[in-house]
Amino acid sequence: MIEQLHYATTPRYNFPQQNGDLLLPQKIIELSIRSMKDLRGEILHPYELDFPETALSEQTKERTTPLNGKAFTTQLTPLRPTSDDTPIVAIDVSSIRIGETETGILCAIRGAVVWARRKLYRYFRLGPFPFHINEVNKDEAISLLRQYHFSVSGYSSPIDVPTKLCDLVEKWIQMSICCSSNRSVILWDGSLTAGTNSNPLDVVSHLLKTARQRSNSVLAFSKMSKIGFLGRRIAELFSKYPPPWLFEVQETPFSPTLHLLGSVYMARFRNNGYSFRLDIDRIIPVDQRIDAVQRLLGNDLVFQSYPETLRLAHIYSTFTASEVIGIQRYIAQKFGLRVLTQRNVRKMLFGPFGTRFDD
Amino acid sequence: MKLYKKVGNTVQILSFPEEDIHKGCYLVIEDSDLNKGLIVQVIDVQFANVPGIMEELLRESFDVESVYGEDIDPLEVTSHILYIQDTRLLVCKIHGTIEDGKLVLSNSWLPSRTRSKIRKLSIQSLIDVAEIGGNLPIHLGETDELARLAVDAHTLDGKLNIITGKKGTGKSHLSKILVLGLIDHKATVLILDLNGEYTRLGLASDGKENQYHKRVHVLTPGDDFKVTLAQVNLSVMLKVLTHALTLPGTSSREFRRIWKSLHEMDRLSLRELGEAIRGWNCNQNVKDALFSRYYALLHSRFFTDNAAEAVFFEELFGKTENGGAIVIDLSDASSTERQIVVEYILGELQELLSQEKIRPVFFLAEEAHLYLGETYWDDIVTRMRHFGVFTTFITNQPNTIHENIYRQADNVFLFNFINEHDLEIISRAAKVDVETAVSIVRDLPPRHCLVLGAAVKDFPIVVKVRELDVQTGGETKLFFTSGQTTEINVA
Repeated sequence: MIEQLHYATTPRYNFPQQNGDLLLPQKIIELSIRSMKDLRGEILHPYELDFPETALSEQTKERTTPLNGKAFTTQLTPLRPTSDDTPIVAIDVSSIRIGETETGILCAIRGAVVWARRKLYRYFRLGPFPFHINEVNKDEAISLLRQYHFSVSGYSSPIDVPTKLCDLVEKWIQMSICCSSNRSVILWDGSLTAGTNSNPLDVVSHLLKTARQRSNSVLAFSKMSKIGFLGRRIAELFSKYPPPWLFEVQETPFSPTLHLLGSVYMARFRNNGYSFRLDIDRIIPVDQRIDAVQRLLGNDLVFQSYPETLRLAHIYSTFTASEVIGIQRYIAQKFGLRVLTQRNVRKMLFGPFGTRFDD
Repeated sequence: MKLYKKVGNTVQILSFPEEDIHKGCYLVIEDSDLNKGLIVQVIDVQFANVPGIMEELLRESFDVESVYGEDIDPLEVTSHILYIQDTRLLVCKIHGTIEDGKLVLSNSWLPSRTRSKIRKLSIQSLIDVAEIGGNLPIHLGETDELARLAVDAHTLDGKLNIITGKKGTGKSHLSKILVLGLIDHKATVLILDLNGEYTRLGLASDGKENQYHKRVHVLTPGDDFKVTLAQVNLSVMLKVLTHALTLPGTSSREFRRIWKSLHEMDRLSLRELGEAIRGWNCNQNVKDALFSRYYALLHSRFFTDNAAEAVFFEELFGKTENGGAIVIDLSDASSTERQIVVEYILGELQELLSQEKIRPVFFLAEEAHLYLGETYWDDIVTRMRHFGVFTTFITNQPNTIHENIYRQADNVFLFNFINEHDLEIISRAAKVDVETAVSIVRDLPPRHCLVLGAAVKDFPIVVKVRELDVQTGGETKLFFTSGQTTEINVA
């Protein structure tokens, strides 16, 4: 008898299979289709696109907690870009509310990953995934979220579910990238503050651990951070120092349930740019953290102090108004909804004075 | 398609990518509750102002070599997004109403935006419903939808027409089609042929005689087209002298006396006229002025004392009773000679028509500003039309035709124009809707013509002018031959 060697199939992606992560996109697609299958005959009230405070609020929301530094731990660290072909990978996910039905809300989610290698960029977009969330089917969504360690109250309103689904998709993409990248700088949008509904502690910890195991460095950029010291913005205090530099801020979270999984820095990379809060995985040694930022500067374009890769990821994931109309059309056609523009009570009452800034 | 907006007689319609609608198409906006349909013509196709399109295009505008990627869209939503982004806005002009299958010229109603259904109206259906073509059709060519477009000769009868477009677009070709069409319907056409383009209308492209050969009469002034002074009426001669040869008023009065004196003696001839001026008792300056004009007449070789070689207009028109063209070949005539001949012809024509000696005549005047006196412009649209001269002006310089001609034109055949100034002049024509003309004419390919006015029952239609099996004449002589190549050595 001839002994046959057994060859295992080469895994296409090296995801942690025990978590069942590979199944998530399929589950998302199924949830999307199932959530909309009972829509036939319902009326869709699309959100007005020239009055988009409700529609766009999701994608402009900053998921970062303001911090007040209590002490400066080190001197300001000047940076020197290191060009060594390190891959830079950025992830961003957007969600948007696209309308209401008589029973629930319609939203869509899309994620984007952008890779930079030798100043060439490659992107990958996943979605859009439309969802109809109502009181009847929200439990299915909540169940899926809980399965992936997102704490969601059973009493949550359907309005809160899309944001959490968006977080779930984002975490899945982040996991995929952490698992499939080696010796890369991985850029996230937001902070590494865990313990919030959108950043479950065990999920974020697991993500960072997976990244470290493959020699990746996770850097999280916050666009709208307010880090202050003695009542002043840190960016103002160091405006006279020529960039690029990093400044570590030692701080304590406002709530005992929050966990800072990253070291918090104030970062400024360009003279004509802004200062951003930068969270770097705190388990990584300090010199490796600095090295990761220097490799980012040397291998990615940095315009206005913001990495181009992350900017592209944001651009590719964000929904434009024409896309929203396209998604509304898809839902209306595919699931037999009748489109009826909702009356804008504010406009009806106040006419041209019914702006979104009024209360 | 969805009705979006109506402002004045302009309607805006949203059109979706799979709908094949282009500039010049006709649409019907049908309101089934009212049992009416609004006929509109697409004069411009624009991109619909879809919100967020700017962001979308900016996102897609990254250099494909430095940024590329893929979309995983399992639900295929993207096709719907692209569909929305490709939505077009049709700017249309209202032209009439269909009520119970009949054309009504009432546009004072508004179809429902929600109930209305919009469909394409084929040009053939429009031709049928508007009854374009009539009993005496002249086949002009085919539309983009391959519908045969013919205009009714009745709609040219008693009308003032303009054919214009930049050079090389096919104006003369269309005018030849109109001439031969009119001949087919037994009309008489008088052509002032500036470039000798119509002289070979009687020959097929292979050089053989065609069916029109015996009905096309080509006359060359000074050659086979001469007249005796006895044939010329004094009023006609005075027009020639004052308009073509700018004879002053005092001298005209003396000339009138000389002419009358010779007429009474039955001695009207060139020789006698010269002698009479020489012996006439008048101021020397007047005499000099008369002599200079006399020699101009003499040198034109248009006048003769030999009655045998004289052409009699009345007889000439008699030859065209069953339809024919009289082509006056002015290609070798000088500017003064052209003006003398044209003044004579128009004067004589008016004379004969007022006495009802000849039937009304269709008159084709190419680049008329080169030979038509100032006084005739108003005459042509008023008195002469009344007598029975139905003029068609052909020009590639629209500014050379007087504004009142545009205002009173019944039919306008427009070929391509790009120049804003030219388009502005054309838009003065009463039959032309400015936006329609400017938008459609600018994009017309060569040999395509926008027909406006009575001939198409005021429904502007673009037609590709058909081929004609006649020999072309008056072609521009070129220096380089078509097959010529030259090798250039570069040091």
